[in-house]
Amino acid sequence: MTNFFLQALAEVGNPSVLGLIIIGVLFGIVGGSIPGFTVTMAILVVFPFTFAMDPVSGVSLMVGVFVGGYSGGIVSGVMLGIPGTPSSITTVYDGYPMAQRGEPGRALGIGVMASFLGTLISVAVLVFFGPLIASFSMNFRPWEITALIVFALTLVAGLSNGALLKGLLAAAIGLLITTVGYDRNSNLRFDFDLPALGSGFEMLPVMIGVFAFSQLLGNIEKLNDEKSSAQKIDTNVTIPYGLIMKDIASQKLNTLRSSLIGSLIGALPGTGGTVANFVSYDQAKKFSRHPEEFGKGTPSGIVASEASNSAVAGGAFVPTLALGIPGDLPMAIMMGVLILHGITPGPMMFEQNPVLVGAIYASLLIGAIAMVLCNLLLVRWFAKISLIPQQILVPAVLMLCAIGAYALNNNVFDIWVLFIFGVIGYLLWKAGVPLTPLILGVVLGNNLERQLFRALELDPNWLTFLTRPLSALFLALAVASVVFSLYQDRKVKRLQQTTRSP
Amino acid sequence: MLTLTKDRALALALLLIVAVMWVESGSIRPPTSWQPYGSALFPRILLVTIALLSVVILVRSLFTKVAPPASGRGVLTEWFERRKTVVALFVMFGLYAALLPVLGYIVATMVFLIASLALLLGVDTKRKWAINLGISCTLVPLVFVIFRYGLNVWLP
Repeated sequence: MTNFFLQALAEVGNPSVLGLIIIGVLFGIVGGSIPGFTVTMAILVVFPFTFAMDPVSGVSLMVGVFVGGYSGGIVSGVMLGIPGTPSSITTVYDGYPMAQRGEPGRALGIGVMASFLGTLISVAVLVFFGPLIASFSMNFRPWEITALIVFALTLVAGLSNGALLKGLLAAAIGLLITTVGYDRNSNLRFDFDLPALGSGFEMLPVMIGVFAFSQLLGNIEKLNDEKSSAQKIDTNVTIPYGLIMKDIASQKLNTLRSSLIGSLIGALPGTGGTVANFVSYDQAKKFSRHPEEFGKGTPSGIVASEASNSAVAGGAFVPTLALGIPGDLPMAIMMGVLILHGITPGPMMFEQNPVLVGAIYASLLIGAIAMVLCNLLLVRWFAKISLIPQQILVPAVLMLCAIGAYALNNNVFDIWVLFIFGVIGYLLWKAGVPLTPLILGVVLGNNLERQLFRALELDPNWLTFLTRPLSALFLALAVASVVFSLYQDRKVKRLQQTTRSP
Repeated sequence: MLTLTKDRALALALLLIVAVMWVESGSIRPPTSWQPYGSALFPRILLVTIALLSVVILVRSLFTKVAPPASGRGVLTEWFERRKTVVALFVMFGLYAALLPVLGYIVATMVFLIASLALLLGVDTKRKWAINLGISCTLVPLVFVIFRYGLNVWLP
């Protein structure tokens, strides 16, 4: 373990890789700090730049974006009162009031330090639990893996904001997309006599199209007067270092609790930063001696929010690396990066690519340090950048998406795939279909089919899925997650009806 | 007459796609003697799942009361009217994809950026034109240099 970590550290410590991590962190912070851009979008835009890189460089760059992106939401949350990413919503509750009473530097400093500590604690969780889960899952056979993927998909679909049916539908559509082209038995499927469809759809243009298009064009639709009020903000921020250290020192327990909540929630498929954010904020308020100060600019609220959403980064890597099941949307895209570089995440990754696993750990650590330095030194610039209007951002990002899709195979067909899935993604989003399960379906589709058929070739009896204890457990959990979501949907509807009636 | 809601439109569109793909799945090669199940099985499981979920969404939508559009115009017309900019942006992107191999990266991207920025920013002041041209003339060559010389990726 120490050996491969030192080897990885030597590779990541290379000046060019260090430079990439810093660039990634900078881009991530910029992406996270622009309202409506999100961490996921930042990762998607940077993804194509990794095509020409070796796996360690590519993954390090992406990890940098990941770490920076989760912390970037602080800037717009504090300065504009608009969360840069959904995972920094509760940062606004206390960060913005603190900035309004003339202490934006303090709010930003507390947020950055909490983010740093959250990332460090989550890396410790990843280092400890990742190999444990991976060694446990080494015993998984095709039946267990199939059932686990089904469970992950139902869990993600079930957590789609009360749209269970549409979430399941999205997951099935995502899986169906992966069936186009030649299958593992070299049989052609759904090519509609178009030669270009023979090799199927590349994961990247589909993901960018479905997610980025819908998000960007949705932002255009939602354009309102936020921009005009935002431009009145004074971006001349100074950080009171001494005061921040005192604030952080008084929040040790809160930081630890919120980071552990973030790591744990990050490790659960389908939850991610937003859920972690709310849960840890709620817990911090419950444990606080002064709960009445929450929402009025207390350091405890900012610490709880930022420590937890940054801790999601390390936590989300646990199932992705150990099981090959991404926990959330940014992780699904990270998994795409690994696959593109010829690495299949899962239990075998720890045996076959230990240096790369170590490089991810090392990049997370270095990225966290770079994040603190960049944020504290360049906060004024980030505050200015967060004011870029969507009217400028959208065409520029659309252009980068198109070039990224093209650069994958030097093929214009991939731009068309991006465009078509952009239209599909936008229409599905307008119809209220959650897109995360769809993207997860696209990422996991090939593996699900491969494992399912391997299981059926070993034993054609479908009942074997129910007679093997672990696969039966995962399937039972899948059913339970659907039933629980249905129950929750009903409960919410009943509550809404009760509050509506006089 | 039933009003077209987003749930109904979604369910009907998906049922149509499922029908087309089910027919197409008939042309997938059948399993050989050593295969217990053929290549059509997995997509067909998914098609059945999508069809069942779509039917449930459709049936549920029939029990939801919907007010007819206030303007008296068709639902689709109203939908497009409200999203003129988004639709225009899609059209521009489609044209960009078509023109990229013909005009090459620099010209096609420059045209796309200038046109889409003009659409979103407006073209009524000199300042807006300066921002538009400034961004387009900086970003396009910059991306070209990064991909071509930094990453050794050829752009068309």
